[in-house]
Amino acid sequence: MVISKKVEFSASHICRSAQLTDAENERVYGAAANPLGHGHNYVVEVAIEGQPDPVTGMILDLKRLRDILEDKVLTVYDHRLLNREVEPFCDVGTSVVPTVENIAIDIWNRVAPCINGQARLYSVKVHETNELFVEYRGLR
Amino acid sequence: MTVHLTRRYGFAASHRLHSPRLTDEENRETYGKCDNPHGHGHNYEVELTVRGTVDPVTGRVVDLALLDDLAERRILAPFRYRNLNEEVAVFRTIVPTTENLGLEVDRRLREAWPETFGRGGPHLEKVRIRETDRNICDIEGSAGDLVAGVRCQEP
Repeated sequence: MVISKKVEFSASHICRSAQLTDAENERVYGAAANPLGHGHNYVVEVAIEGQPDPVTGMILDLKRLRDILEDKVLTVYDHRLLNREVEPFCDVGTSVVPTVENIAIDIWNRVAPCINGQARLYSVKVHETNELFVEYRGLR
Repeated sequence: MTVHLTRRYGFAASHRLHSPRLTDEENRETYGKCDNPHGHGHNYEVELTVRGTVDPVTGRVVDLALLDDLAERRILAPFRYRNLNEEVAVFRTIVPTTENLGLEVDRRLREAWPETFGRGGPHLEKVRIRETDRNICDIEGSAGDLVAGVRCQEP
């Protein structure tokens, strides 16, 4: 059984790779390569897989899941410029571009270690706009 | 018969809420995390409500191709994927709150409205701007008031 929780944050980003030239960045990322940045209302859906506990009837304590998402996602991402304020997108010398794909992978990496006991992280979906979202299910 | 038609558009942009007329501390108190110096962003939605009579030939209140073209030229192209504070001139001096963004959208549309639709054409009834699902601003009123409304907030 899979249970999902949704949270939202607003953030800005710049889609440019240090490994590409300016012309290549503009070709690959289009308007999203604007060096001054732009932003989105991101919607994150975190899905947890497990069986309901015979006593509580819950896969995972939802208050705990709420706290995990607050600490590991919202505190980190909400109202931030990802390229300047959120690792690994702000690391000098590395080139992790804050695409919606890489955001989903980063959120997985932050949340997965916090889900323990019988439950495990099943998937992370990140919606960047109404028309675009990704789903990541970890290394498999 | 009068009909209201609403057309929805969207653009993604970043902004920072920070007034040069407030101290840093006052800005933090007023705007909270929206005052983050690096900025943050949203998927904005703009809803334009047009009032008019249904044309007996076309069956439409407004020529949607003209409305779409107006919205694209005056709002979407200048705002899409932009840092509003840095790249939209009016927001160099005016704080790009949802309210002021709505007023600026309204001003831009009304400025070009007569040349687009001519005399006796449809009327721009309302501009709604949605910053998030919980933060929505409606602009209804005459052009003159709204322009003054924007200007009176300049430092």
